[in-house]
Amino acid sequence: MMFPGIRTRMLAAALVPVTLVVLALVAVFWTSRVSDLDEAHGLRTRLMARQVALASEYGIFSGNVAALQAVLAGLQREPDVKSVAVFGMDGRMLVSSGALHYNGFKEASNTTYALHQRNQNTDVVVEAVTSGNVPIDDLFSPSPGARGAAPEVFGHVVLEVSRARLVTRERELLVLALGIGLAGLVLGGFLATRMGEGVVRPVLRVSRMIERIGEGDLTPSSESRPSDPLYGLQTRLNQMAQRLAWGREEMEFRVESATRELRLKKEEAETATLAKSRFLAAASHDLRQPTHALGMFVARLGQLPLDAPTRQLVASLEASVQSMQDLLDGLLDVSRLDAGAVQVQTGAVNMGELFHGLRKALQPLAESKGLRLRLRPGPYWAMTDPVLLQRMVMNLANNAIRYTERGTVMISCRRVEGGRTVRLDVADSGIGISPTHQADIFREFYQVGNSGRDRAQGLGLGLNIVERTAQLLGHSITLRSALGCGTRFSIHLPVAQAVEASAALLPPESQGVGGVEGMRVLVIEDDGFALEAIRDLLSSWGCVVHAAASVTQALDIVNAYAAPDVVLSDFRLGEARNGMDVIAMVRAHARREVPACLMSGDTDAGLIQAAKEAGLTLLHKPVRPAKLRSFLRRSAMAAEAPDSTEL
Amino acid sequence: MGLASTLCSILVSWALWGAGLASAAEVLVLSSERSPSYTDASQAAVSELVRLGVRRTDIAQLYVSELATGDLGAAQGTKVWITLGSDALARALQREGRPALVSALIPRLGFERLLRDNPGKTAAPALAVYLDQPFGRQLDLMRLVMPEVRRVGVLWGPESTAQQATLLAAAQARGMDVVGGSVTASSTLFSGLKSVLDDAEVLLAVADPQVYNSATISNILLTTYRARIPVMAFSPAYVKAGALLAVYSTPRQIGVQAGALARTVLQGGAVPASQYPLEFSVVVNEHVARSLGIVLDEASVNERMHRMERRP
Repeated sequence: MMFPGIRTRMLAAALVPVTLVVLALVAVFWTSRVSDLDEAHGLRTRLMARQVALASEYGIFSGNVAALQAVLAGLQREPDVKSVAVFGMDGRMLVSSGALHYNGFKEASNTTYALHQRNQNTDVVVEAVTSGNVPIDDLFSPSPGARGAAPEVFGHVVLEVSRARLVTRERELLVLALGIGLAGLVLGGFLATRMGEGVVRPVLRVSRMIERIGEGDLTPSSESRPSDPLYGLQTRLNQMAQRLAWGREEMEFRVESATRELRLKKEEAETATLAKSRFLAAASHDLRQPTHALGMFVARLGQLPLDAPTRQLVASLEASVQSMQDLLDGLLDVSRLDAGAVQVQTGAVNMGELFHGLRKALQPLAESKGLRLRLRPGPYWAMTDPVLLQRMVMNLANNAIRYTERGTVMISCRRVEGGRTVRLDVADSGIGISPTHQADIFREFYQVGNSGRDRAQGLGLGLNIVERTAQLLGHSITLRSALGCGTRFSIHLPVAQAVEASAALLPPESQGVGGVEGMRVLVIEDDGFALEAIRDLLSSWGCVVHAAASVTQALDIVNAYAAPDVVLSDFRLGEARNGMDVIAMVRAHARREVPACLMSGDTDAGLIQAAKEAGLTLLHKPVRPAKLRSFLRRSAMAAEAPDSTEL
Repeated sequence: MGLASTLCSILVSWALWGAGLASAAEVLVLSSERSPSYTDASQAAVSELVRLGVRRTDIAQLYVSELATGDLGAAQGTKVWITLGSDALARALQREGRPALVSALIPRLGFERLLRDNPGKTAAPALAVYLDQPFGRQLDLMRLVMPEVRRVGVLWGPESTAQQATLLAAAQARGMDVVGGSVTASSTLFSGLKSVLDDAEVLLAVADPQVYNSATISNILLTTYRARIPVMAFSPAYVKAGALLAVYSTPRQIGVQAGALARTVLQGGAVPASQYPLEFSVVVNEHVARSLGIVLDEASVNERMHRMERRP
C-alpha cells in the first residue's frame, strides 16, 4: 500500500478539529454553567444576608431579640444555611442560629476566616445593618441635606452558607458536560470515519492503479466508477497508462530494430576482422614458404667457400633474411600467445644466471651502438619462468638499445614492498615516451614516431608480446618515463627461496656443428624450392636425406628404405592428408615413435594446439638452420625416446 | 386675612413714599444655594420689594459661591442684605462693616447660634424670619385635629433642648402636658422614644438634626406607629416619610415676609424684631391618618387653622 497511514491521517484530520471544538464547547459550557451557578449561589447568599439585615434593622434598633430570633428561624429553614448571627452596633452578639465556628464578630468579619471557611466549602457573608435612610429634603436638615450622608450602621449580620450542594451540582454538571462531549466525540468520530472512507477509498484505488502502473501493468483499470470523487483522475491515469503502453511498444520496436542493426554491424565487423585475420594468416603463410627456402639457401650459401666481397654480400643477405624472420617470429609469438599454446614452467630462478645470459646476448648490440650496458642482478631469486622472462627482458632491452643514442642501458634488480617482490628494471637514457603515448605503447604494431614504419626501428610487436607474457606469468609491468628523460620498465616478480645447485632451467644452447652426420632424415615438403633448400642444407651437414614431395613418395621411400632416424614434414602437403598423418603412417610403419618434426608456415592457433596434443615438435617456417640442427641433435641424443619439447 | 391685606396696603403706601426719599438705597439678596426652595424664596423677596416700590435695578441677587470668588461689585454700597439659609447668614456676619441683615430660611435656634458665634463690631441690625413654626400654632393645630389630646411627647436633642421652656409655656397656656425625653446619642434614641411613647398621646417633633434625620426617621416612625402614637412633624418631608401631619411655611411665603421686613429696614424706621412666619400651610398624610383611624381632610384643616389664626 502506498500510504499506509492514510486512513489514520484522514481520521486524525477529521477528529482533531472535532475534538478541539468539542473540548472547547465542553469547557465553555461547563465554566459558564459553573460560573452561573456560582454567581447565583453568591447572589442568593447575599440576598439572604441582605434580607436578614433589612429584617433585623428594627429588631436591633428596638433591641427586640425575640423578633430577631423569629427572623433567624425563618432564614434557618432555607437550604444550605449553616448558621446566621446578628451583632449589635457594639459588636455584641444579639442572637444566633445554627452552629457557629467563630468567636465574636471580629473573627467572623476577618477575611482570613472567610478564606478558611471557603476552603471548608462554606461561604461567609457579613452584611451591615443600616438605617432605612429615608430621603428628607427640607430646610431643617443641615446643608447639603441628608441625602449624601452615609447610612448609619446599626449592626451586622453574619451568614454562613454551605457550598456542598453547589459543589455537588457542579460535579454533576461536569459529568454531564463530559458525557455530552464524549457523545459529540463519538458522533464526530463516526461521521469522520464515514466521510473519510469516502475520500480514502478513491485515493487507495488511485494508489493501487499507480502501483500497478509502477509494476509495469499498463492495462487500463476497470475499478473506476463515475460516482467516484477521483473519477477524473482515474480516467486520466488510465489514459496515461495507455499512452505509456503505446510508448513502450514503440520503444521496444525501436530498440529491437536498433539491436538488429547493431548485430548486423557487429557481424560485418567480425567478418571483416576474420577476413583480415585470414588474409594475414594466408599472407604470412605464403610468405613463410619462400622465406623458409630463402633462409635455407642463404645458410647453404654461407657454408660455401667464397671470396670476400661475396661473403660481405651473403652477410648482408643473411641480415635481411634475419630481419624478415624476426618479423615472422614476432607474429608467431603473438599467435601462440593468442592460442594459449605457451607452456609456463615456473620455478625459482637465480637472477644472476639470468643476467649472465642477457649480458652475452646484449653486450655486442650495445657496443655496436656505443652504449654502456650495465647489469646489476643482485643476490635475488624470483619465482618465474626463466625462458619467458628472458624473452621479455630481451624484448625490453632491445627496445632500450634501439631508442637510445648515447648513454647507458641498465638492467637491475632490487627488492621492494618489504622484500616480498623483486623488481626487475630495464632503464635507458633514451628519448623517453610522452605521457600521451604511454597507454598505447603496449598495443600491437604501435610505434611512437614511426608512422613511416621504418623496419630498422622494429616491428612494434615487442611490447605487446612482453605485456601478454607478463599477464600469462602473473607479473605486473610498470612504466616510468618522460619525454627526453629516458624510460624505465619494471617487472615485478615474486621473491623465491634460493635453491642450492640449481638445475640450469635454460635450455642448453647448441654449439657448433656435430653429432648429426650420418643421420637418416626423411623430409616431406610439397614446395620444390623449400625441399631442395632443406635437402641441400641437411646434406651439407652430412645427413642422409630422403626427400619426398608428396605423401605417396614418402610412403614409397619408407617402404624402400630402412626406417629413418628423423622425420621432417611440412604440415600442408597440398592433398587430403597432412604432415601429421604422414608422420603417423611412418611411425606405424617403423613400429616405433620415430622422432618427428612438423614444419609449418601456419600461425593458426588450432594447428599449434594439435601439434602439442600429438606430441610433435613444431618448427615454424621460416625454420632457422640453427634450430633445425638443434632439433636434429636432440633427436640423435634421445634416439630411443623421442622428445616433444616445444620451442 | 383682612388684617393682613390692610397691613399690606399700609406698608405699600409707606414703601412708595420711602422709595422717593431713599432712591440710592440698594438691597442684596444672598442665597446659600441654587436649589428651587432658595430660588423661590429669593424671587418672592425680590417681587415683594418691587411691589413695595424698590426699583428693580436697586436689587442685586448673589449666591454664596459667587461671593466667594470676590465679586463684590453688586454688594458695594448696599444697605440691606437679605440672606437665605445659614451659609449666607454666616458669610454676611463675617463681613467687616456689614449692612443691616434680614435673614430667612433658617430655624430660630440656628439664627441665634450664628449670632452668638459672630458677635461682630457693627451695630447694624440683624433680624430673621424663622423657618420653624411657633409652638403655639403647632399646639393649636394639634388641638384642632385631636381635641382630646392632653399629653404631648417631645424628644429633646442636644440643640432643641433650649426650647423646652418655650414649649412648656405654650402647652400650659393651652392646658396640655409635655412628656419630655432626652436623646444624647443615637444609641439612646430608642430608650428615650420608648419612655416618651409610654406616656404621651402624640409625638411633637422638634427640629434637631441629632434626633430627626434621614437615618433615624424610619425607625422613629415605625416605633410610633407600633405604639399607635401619631407624629406631628415640622416639615412636609417628614409627612411624606410617614408622620401624620405638619404645619409649615413655604419658602415663597417666607420670602415675601423677608422682602417686606427688608423694606421696613430700608426705610430706616424702628428696626422690627425677628418673627415667625406669618403665612403657613398644613399638610396631612392621609394614609397614615387612615392607618391610625383618624379622619382628616387637609383642605378643611387648613381652612379651620387659618380661620383660627385670624381670630385674635
